[in-house]
Amino acid sequence: MRPLVYDRAVSAVGSLLESIEWESCALEPLPDAELLAYLRRELGMVPRTAIYMTPCPWIVRSLAGLNQYNALLAHLEIPLAELIALTVSEDNSCRYCFGMQRFVLRMQGVPEPRIRALADSLFAAELDPRSRSALEFARRFSRANPLLAAADAEPLRRAGWSEPAIREIAFVAAAHVYYNRVATLPALPPQPMENLPDRWWMRVFAGAIGRRIRRSQRPGAPESLPPDARAGPFEALVASLDGLPAARALRGILDEAFASAVLPRRTKGLIFAVVAHALGCPRSEAEAARLLAADGLGAPERDEILAHLASPRLDATEAALLPLARDTIHYRPAQIQRRARALRDTIGVEPFVEFVGVASLANAVCRLASLTAEMS
Amino acid sequence: MRPLLAALVAIAAFVWLWRARSARHAQRLRARFEDAQQKLERLQYAFERFAPRDVVDRLAAGSEPPAERRDVTVLFADLVGFTRLSESVEPAVLVRVLNGHHARMQRAIAEHRGHVALLIGDGLLALFGAFDHNPWQCDDAARAALAMRAELAGYNRELEREQLPALALGIGLHRGVVVTGLVGSAELQQWTAVGRTVNLAARVQDLTRDHGVDILLTESVRKELDPRFALRELPARSVRGIAQPVVTWALDRFEG
Repeated sequence: MRPLVYDRAVSAVGSLLESIEWESCALEPLPDAELLAYLRRELGMVPRTAIYMTPCPWIVRSLAGLNQYNALLAHLEIPLAELIALTVSEDNSCRYCFGMQRFVLRMQGVPEPRIRALADSLFAAELDPRSRSALEFARRFSRANPLLAAADAEPLRRAGWSEPAIREIAFVAAAHVYYNRVATLPALPPQPMENLPDRWWMRVFAGAIGRRIRRSQRPGAPESLPPDARAGPFEALVASLDGLPAARALRGILDEAFASAVLPRRTKGLIFAVVAHALGCPRSEAEAARLLAADGLGAPERDEILAHLASPRLDATEAALLPLARDTIHYRPAQIQRRARALRDTIGVEPFVEFVGVASLANAVCRLASLTAEMS
Repeated sequence: MRPLLAALVAIAAFVWLWRARSARHAQRLRARFEDAQQKLERLQYAFERFAPRDVVDRLAAGSEPPAERRDVTVLFADLVGFTRLSESVEPAVLVRVLNGHHARMQRAIAEHRGHVALLIGDGLLALFGAFDHNPWQCDDAARAALAMRAELAGYNRELEREQLPALALGIGLHRGVVVTGLVGSAELQQWTAVGRTVNLAARVQDLTRDHGVDILLTESVRKELDPRFALRELPARSVRGIAQPVVTWALDRFEG
């Protein structure tokens, strides 16, 4: 007979992240039945993020498109992808995504002390060398200080990871670099998810929820990019992922993001250019330059804008959002959330939501482009 | 039969109570461990304001972070006439005034993506671009200097209401390569920057008194600066430890 001692010390654990300052949400939930039905079809569930992002349907669709459960991983095990998600979210101080990952892991039976150990210190956590190399790589990828080069993947090769698996590790880290910013910039409310695993009824239904989560996890299979998916923004990056299901997913998100009409293409190109410049990624800068040239912005004008993030050539929206784009690389949540809220008040909700999506995508894509350029 | 049953029940009750006691004890230990762990985490998070995250991670893991060369913009600031002030007010008032000043200056610096690497009495050394790659570090440092001027003006109004003397600030800006790393002994260490760039920023700060201005910057900053910053070129002056006379510009305002 097990003594009835309620394990408060573990269940009521207050992660450091929960004490990180986090502003009130800058967006109102705006459910859209069609978009939510799409997510239910694709993922078998609706992430809460979706109801805040409906002003930009491509961001809602990206919640399924870049999701590691959605037949995207052909070489990397999904449980390790979940730990990468946890590590990257912790490193980006994203309370929202960390809470989500903690919930997913808890429901699948991962004990809280194990989650805490991983979040507290990768150096100290008990991990096999293969997993440790993947998690350390993912964290360095996310941190981008400095941007990763081909040599940084060497510990992964030594630990036995294949080249396609290394690309998938980078892709999963990039996807969470994206999700973390989508949640952090508008300060999506983290509290409901943070408290959920500790509810008594969640403990009762944890097994059933865990089984449901596991059923929704679909591994992918190697696949070649179809010929019609080879051209488009960041085509060299997408081509470098050819052979992985992630390549088609990334192609889809990039095409949708650039096709969306909320912000002009030129503005999106400028956001990518600023993020690439701030990260110091020449490959992404060159691609952003190509996109901007296609929209009529030549090298002298672009260089003038990038030199000081200001120019008479910028319209009012661009002048307001470019300075915030540079801050999306490294930040403290509350500080960037206050700036983001001020931007929302200046440019309006719809352009703000699209800015959040594009700046987040630029962060993921530029990190990935830097790494794969060196590897390919 | 009955005594045997009673004995078994007693043993079961004893085992159950013993296990419950052990579990409670383990729970208390775990709670203390969690508490200590949280304090450590908060400390680690707080440290990330003072040193790059990789440095903090390495320290937390018990390894020595390597010293590195970095291209940074150095801001050196010092209160003018502070020694005189220190002789004319009570020690408690002096410390309160100084802390109020530092809090405002650090806020202005952090708001513009810099970080204070060293407090030296009434002076401070701040770095821009030391933690992360920052192509706009000169603009950030110049904006921080203007924000410090504005903060000081506000603080002086508060001091005036308390009938305390106004403070004056000298700020020097210079960009160049520094060596960053943990400096100090086992008892007292600090992640900071050293080298010629830091020394020159300090000398330029000294020149603010000669030129009668509050913010001075060197050519290495001026050439990277947004043209909307209004600058005035000042005559070259010799400074200690530098062979050539140093040309400086006074930073007047931002015309944005």
